[in-house]
Amino acid sequence: MDELAIAARDKCAIAGIGVTDYMKDSGRSVLSLATEAALAALDDAGLAPEDVDGIVRCNHDQITHNDLGSSIGVTDLTYWGETGPGGVGPCAMVGQAMAAIMGGLANTVLVFRALNGRSEDRFGQGQHMTKGAPVIGGRSTYDEFFMPFGLMTAGQTFALMTQRHMTQYGTTSEHLGHIALACREYANRNPRAQMRDRALTMEDYMAGRMISSPLRLYDFCLETDGAAAVVVTTAERAKDLKAKPVLIRGQAGGCPTDMRGGMMFPVVMREDPTEPGGKRAGETLYRKTGIGPDEIDVAQIYDCFTISILLQLEAYGFCKKGEGGPFSASGALRPGGSLPINTGGGHLSEGYIHGMGHVIEAARQMRGESSSQVEGAETCLVTGGPLPTGSALMLRRA
Amino acid sequence: MADRVLPFKKDRDTGGFFAAADRHELVYRACNDCGASINPPHARCAACGSWNTGWKQASGKGRLFTWSVVEQQIHPAFPTPYTIVVVALEDDPSVRYVGYLDGAHDLKADMAMRVRFEPTEDGGALPQWIPDNAR
Repeated sequence: MDELAIAARDKCAIAGIGVTDYMKDSGRSVLSLATEAALAALDDAGLAPEDVDGIVRCNHDQITHNDLGSSIGVTDLTYWGETGPGGVGPCAMVGQAMAAIMGGLANTVLVFRALNGRSEDRFGQGQHMTKGAPVIGGRSTYDEFFMPFGLMTAGQTFALMTQRHMTQYGTTSEHLGHIALACREYANRNPRAQMRDRALTMEDYMAGRMISSPLRLYDFCLETDGAAAVVVTTAERAKDLKAKPVLIRGQAGGCPTDMRGGMMFPVVMREDPTEPGGKRAGETLYRKTGIGPDEIDVAQIYDCFTISILLQLEAYGFCKKGEGGPFSASGALRPGGSLPINTGGGHLSEGYIHGMGHVIEAARQMRGESSSQVEGAETCLVTGGPLPTGSALMLRRA
Repeated sequence: MADRVLPFKKDRDTGGFFAAADRHELVYRACNDCGASINPPHARCAACGSWNTGWKQASGKGRLFTWSVVEQQIHPAFPTPYTIVVVALEDDPSVRYVGYLDGAHDLKADMAMRVRFEPTEDGGALPQWIPDNAR
């Protein structure tokens, strides 16, 4: 069953990475941000826009393939792809680039995510989803069962999941606080992180105002303006390019058997809303890559909220179900711990590029360029948004 | 409530739920052949493959599955604080519905809840959930 996945191991590589600054107000169009990140990734690889023949975007991005292609000057686009939803995207987008290359559909694929997530389209403000419509939902969104009842945002959805986890397993706010603190510690060492100069103590965390109980201010990520892009090509070709290549070991998506329709809200109707899609993505990824949780040196775990990390630590097999709280409080996630995570600060403290920043930081770790470089790290797990499905990517040092 | 957010009631898969609510009845989708519940609702039963599905009357009683007290103001229709409740139906706990409670409430997991139909400005009603011991 897995022959093709095994044959594809380490055959493709991330040949270049590029980012803009992560900001509160870019003052520029999303297209300009995408363009800057894409050109930076190409420059990093030593490639030109004319070398690009594939582009993969996130379904939530306002920039299309032809928008970006025309802005950077792509001359012969033979493949374009799109996946998501939203933060599930980046790992799956890299997987799609890899699939296109392995299938002969393209040779050099740009994967990007760009957003003015703070100055223009704030995901935390639920009413942008209602768009002033007199009625909401329908057409298989299932939003009609949620938004008219006051469930409007991702934060509230994750709050419901958190409360459930607390009820079932005795997870505490302090457990979540340890996750926020670990990410902040990494951000404090990362000159690109928005929270580079802001320390966070457990006292600060607990004093953070309640947004949607039991989630407080510092359980939430940083709405951000910015963009990030990577160039994917064959590992063979990447060897001869400018930047140190990062091998793509494999990629997998997953969702619970009990998946339910809709975007994120129907997750609260699943038999176990505290099992993220990543559980099965992880199982598949480990099988296909031959690399299990014990062999992962560093991980970039999708963190729209602190609870997202906690649930995924369990789902990806770093601890048992229900033990994500004590595991997070053990110091394992902190610099020097047994499982350093989100070593650039993540969504919580570096910036929210909807999962693409996690791919960038993973590549930096595998190139030996992280501001919190894990000594001798050879494998890095990246995960994508936990709802409604999950996606995961395994990168290796070349 | 200002700028009330009303559900789209004419969706071909879910409209029956809201039509029933307008009559102050609580229903859930289920397979007429194998009995499996289908929530959120759709026309085909994935458990047995039947298209013979329909709406089943619910008792209007349930248990609190999870909740959140919202303190951050998001939408003018929902002034803070308010409480989002997720309730598992007594008839089949695998079917859960979301409800809105004005204000902050001291709730406990698994507490008994009952449905209450809240009139809406379109002349219909929405099923909401309150603690069973509330007056």
